[in-house]
Amino acid sequence: MVNYGGDEVSALVVDIGSSSVRVGYAGDDTPKAVIPSSYGYFNNPPGGDVSMENGNSGEPKSAYSQIFIGQNGPSTWRAGMEIGNPLQDGLIHDFDSARSLVEHALGDVMRVNASEHPILVTEPPWNTPANRERMAEIMFEEMKAPAFYIANTGVLNAFAAGKGSALVIDIGQSMASVTPVVDGFVLRKGLATSSIPRLVHSHAHHFLSNPTQTRHAIDLYPHQLIANRLPVDPGAPPRFTLREDRLAGVTQSWKAWYEAREVDEWIQSVGGVLEQGWNDQVAASRPPRQYEFPTGYNNYFGHDRFAVCEQYFFQKPHFVQSNATAPKTIPSLILEAFRTCDPELRQVLMGNVVLTGGSSLLNGFSERLASELSRSFSHVKIHAPGNPTERRYGGWLGGSILASLGTFHQLWISREEWQEHGTAIVGQRCK
Amino acid sequence: MAASASDIRSALSIPSQSQNPAQTPVQSKKLQAQSSRKPDGISRELYSLIGPSAPSLAAQLAKPKLKQKPNLGSRSVVKWEWRSFTNGARKDKLQLGHWTKAATDVNTDYPFAKYGVQSTPYIYTDEEYTQYLQDSEWTKEETDFLFNVVREFDTRWYVIYDRYDFQGGPARSMEDLKDRYYSACRKLIRNRPWSGDEASKSSLLASFHFDKEREITRKKYVTSLENRTPDQVAEEEALYIEVKRLEQSERKFKKDREDLLRVLSGVESGLPDVLEDESPFNNLPTIDTKKKRKGLSSGFLPTDVDSPTSASNVIALDPPIVRKPRDPKSIAYDAQHCIIRTDLPPNVQATKAAHHPAFMRSFKLPYPKAALAPRINQIFAELGINNTRLVMPTRDNCARLEGLMESISALVESKKVLDKLEYDIQVAKKRLGMRNSEDREGGSGGGKGKGVGIGSAMDVDEGDVDADADADAEEESVRDGRAQSIVSTKSARSRRPTRRSMSISSVDTNATASARASNKRKFRN
Repeated sequence: MVNYGGDEVSALVVDIGSSSVRVGYAGDDTPKAVIPSSYGYFNNPPGGDVSMENGNSGEPKSAYSQIFIGQNGPSTWRAGMEIGNPLQDGLIHDFDSARSLVEHALGDVMRVNASEHPILVTEPPWNTPANRERMAEIMFEEMKAPAFYIANTGVLNAFAAGKGSALVIDIGQSMASVTPVVDGFVLRKGLATSSIPRLVHSHAHHFLSNPTQTRHAIDLYPHQLIANRLPVDPGAPPRFTLREDRLAGVTQSWKAWYEAREVDEWIQSVGGVLEQGWNDQVAASRPPRQYEFPTGYNNYFGHDRFAVCEQYFFQKPHFVQSNATAPKTIPSLILEAFRTCDPELRQVLMGNVVLTGGSSLLNGFSERLASELSRSFSHVKIHAPGNPTERRYGGWLGGSILASLGTFHQLWISREEWQEHGTAIVGQRCK
Repeated sequence: MAASASDIRSALSIPSQSQNPAQTPVQSKKLQAQSSRKPDGISRELYSLIGPSAPSLAAQLAKPKLKQKPNLGSRSVVKWEWRSFTNGARKDKLQLGHWTKAATDVNTDYPFAKYGVQSTPYIYTDEEYTQYLQDSEWTKEETDFLFNVVREFDTRWYVIYDRYDFQGGPARSMEDLKDRYYSACRKLIRNRPWSGDEASKSSLLASFHFDKEREITRKKYVTSLENRTPDQVAEEEALYIEVKRLEQSERKFKKDREDLLRVLSGVESGLPDVLEDESPFNNLPTIDTKKKRKGLSSGFLPTDVDSPTSASNVIALDPPIVRKPRDPKSIAYDAQHCIIRTDLPPNVQATKAAHHPAFMRSFKLPYPKAALAPRINQIFAELGINNTRLVMPTRDNCARLEGLMESISALVESKKVLDKLEYDIQVAKKRLGMRNSEDREGGSGGGKGKGVGIGSAMDVDEGDVDADADADAEEESVRDGRAQSIVSTKSARSRRPTRRSMSISSVDTNATASARASNKRKFRN
C-alpha cells in the first residue's frame, strides 16, 4: 500500500463541466456516473395546483416546480419543459441546480450517502473565491460531507498526465483555456481563456441551418419530434413527418438545446482539422464524410467540415476587426499565456504540453497543434491521451488520482475545520 | 501373453515350462502375476516382450510428471478490515477510513504522515528587523508579506512571483523578491549567534547566495536566445553541423595519416605501430628481437646488424649506432651476391621513422608528373614500353627507365615551350602582315587557309613551320604516327590523320625521339 503511495479512503470526486457532471470514486480510472449538465424543468406547473403544492412542500429552495435530471432529463420530450444549465462560461452561476445535479449523480446513480465520504470537487482555473466558498458551503452544510477539497482542473489535468509542471490546453464544450501549471500550482497570471468552442459551434449552426449553393437549409429536428421518415439519397430533400402533437409543447430553450445537440453531434462526427495548416487544395482532397440527420437528410461534407473547425486556429482578419470581443484562437491563447511566463519556464512548459477536453478530440487536432507550436518553438512535446475517456474526463481522472494518494489526506478540509474557521479555510488550504 | 512369454524363454534359453504340465497352471499364474507387476514408465507391450528382466533404464523411463501445481489453498486467507484512522500530520481529529490488514497494529502512526514535511522558514523579530533588515525600498509590512508568501509556497519562486500582490506596494520582479528574501536571510544568519562551526555557517550562507544582477543578465540571455528568428536558428544549426563535420574530417585525416605512416614505416618493416613510439621501453625488446631474427634469416652478416641488444637490456635507450667501416671482404661478398646497400645519410639519426624498410625496386619506379602524365604515357605506349611494370626490374633497367622518363618529360616540356613560341611568332607575324600590303598577305594566306579551314579552332603552329618540317620530311615519314600523337595528346583538338606539317616540327624533338628509338631497341634486346 505504501509502495505506490496510494491509500484509498473511498473519497468521491465530483467534476462539474459545461456538458456533463462526472462523479465517481477516487482511485477508479473512469467516473461511475456521467450525467448531462443540462436539466429540464417546469416554471409554471402544467398540472395546476397539485404539483404546485408538491413543489413548494418538497423542495422549498428550488425555484422550479419540477426538475428533470440525468439521462432521461432534458432528452425526454415533455410539453412545456424548459432547459437550464447551471454553468456559464465554465463557472457555476446557479448553485441550486448544480447541487441537484450532484445529488442526483450521488444519490440516484451511484447510490451513495454523501455524508459518509470525503468529497473532492473540481473548479476551473478562473473560478472565483466566492464560488468555491459557496461550493464548500453546499458540501458541508447541505450534503453533510465529512471532508472537502476543491482542486483546480488545470492542476488535475496535469496530474492525470503524470506531470507536476505542464502547460494544460483544455478545450471543453463552452470554454478553451491554456493554464501554466508549475509544481502543482496554477500560475494565475499566465492563465488565458476564451469561448472559442462556442464560436465554432455557432459557426457550425449557422452553416447547417442556412442554405448553400448546393443544398437547402437543414432542419435540425431531433428524433423526439419525428414521427417517421423515409430513406433518401444523399443531398435529396428529406421525407419525414413531424409529430405535430408535440411541436406545440416545444419551448424555446428546449429547441435551442436540441439544435445545439444536433450541431454538436455533427461536429463530433465529421468535423476535422487539417494537420498542416489551412490549405484549400488539401481540404478539397480529403475524402468527404457522410452524415445523416434525424430527419433522414444526409449528405457528404468535405471542404466545410474542415472550414468550420479551422476557427479554432485561424480567424479571418476582417472578422477579428469587426468583432472586438471575438474569442481568441488557440495559438493566440498559448502566446498570451507564454508572454506572462518567466523565460526559463517556457522551455519546461513547452516540453510538457497536455492537451485535454472533449472538443480536442476533433480529427487531427493534436497534430495541428503540434505543427502550430513547432513553428514558433523548438522541442515541443504534446501529451494527448489517445483514449477518448481520458481526454474527456482528464480533470476527473486527475482528481481521482489525487484523492487516492496517502499523502493527500492531510489536505482535506474537515468538517471540524470548517466549523472553526468558516469560509476562510477554503482559500488557505486550496491554493 | 503366454506365447510371448515362451518366446522370451526361448530367447533367453530358459527351459520351457510347458514340458512340465503339472506345474503349468501355477507357474503361468505366477508369471502372470509377475508380468502384471510391471514398473512404471514401460508400456505393457514392451514389458511383456522383455519380461521382468527390465533394464536399468526403467528407472529413467518414469512417467513424466506435470509441473507441480501452485499451492494456493494452504496459505491462510489474509483478513482485511475497514478501519478508521487519524492522520498525524493533521492538526484536527478528522477520521477517515481505509482497508487495512487486520494483523497490523491499530495504534501505528499513519504511514503517510511522515511525508508532510514542513520547511523551517526564517522568522525575524521586530528588534532584528530594525537592527539589520532596514531597506529603503522595502517596508516592514511588505517584507512580512513576502516572508509569509515564501513560507506558504515553500520557496517555489515562480508561484510566489505569480501570487505576490502586496496591496499598495510597487511592482516587484521575481529577482527583486528573491534578492530581498535571500539578503534578509543572509543578514539574519550572519548576525545571529551560531552554535555550529564556521564551515557549516559559511556553507549555509553560500546556499542563500543570490546575485541579482547576474540573474537578470542571465534571464536576458535566455530571452534573447528565444527571440532568435527561425533563420538565425537554422544558421546556427548549420554552423554547428559544419563545425562537427570539420572536426570529423580532421579526425579522419589524422587517422589516415597515422595509418599511412604505419604502413610506410611500421608493419612492412616488421616494426610495431608508429603510434607506440612514445613508449620506447615497451617497444625496444620486440624491435630488437625482430631485427635480429630478420637479419639472421635474410643472411646478413651479424656485423652488419646494429649492435645486438640483449633482451635484458630493456630499459636502455637506443644504443648509439656504430658504423663500422666496411671491410673489402664484405664488399666482395656484396658484389658476388649482387647486394647493394643503401646507407642512411650520415646526418640522419637511425630512428624508425628514418628507417628504410625493405622494398621491391619495381615499386619505386618513377612516375611521370601528373600534368604531363597522359602525354608521357602515350609516348611510352608508342614506344611499346610499359612504364609502370618492368619485366626485369634490375637496377640498371630501372635507372634507364628513369632516364627515359626524364628525357620524355623534357621532350614534352620543350614541345610545349616550342608551341608557345611558335604561337607568339605567329601572332607577331600576323600583326606584321596586317601592317604590310594586302597582296603580299594574300598569297601566304591562301596557303594557310586550308589548314585553318580544317581545324577551325586550331592553333597556328602548323602552316608556318613548313620550312622546318620539309627539312626533316624523311624522318617524319618513319615516325609520323608517333609524332602526330604527341600533338594530338597535347590538346584535345580534332585529330588529322596525315598532316605532314603538324608532326614534330623541331629538330630537337626529333633528335630526342631518335634517341628514344635507340633506347627502345635496347630494351627490346
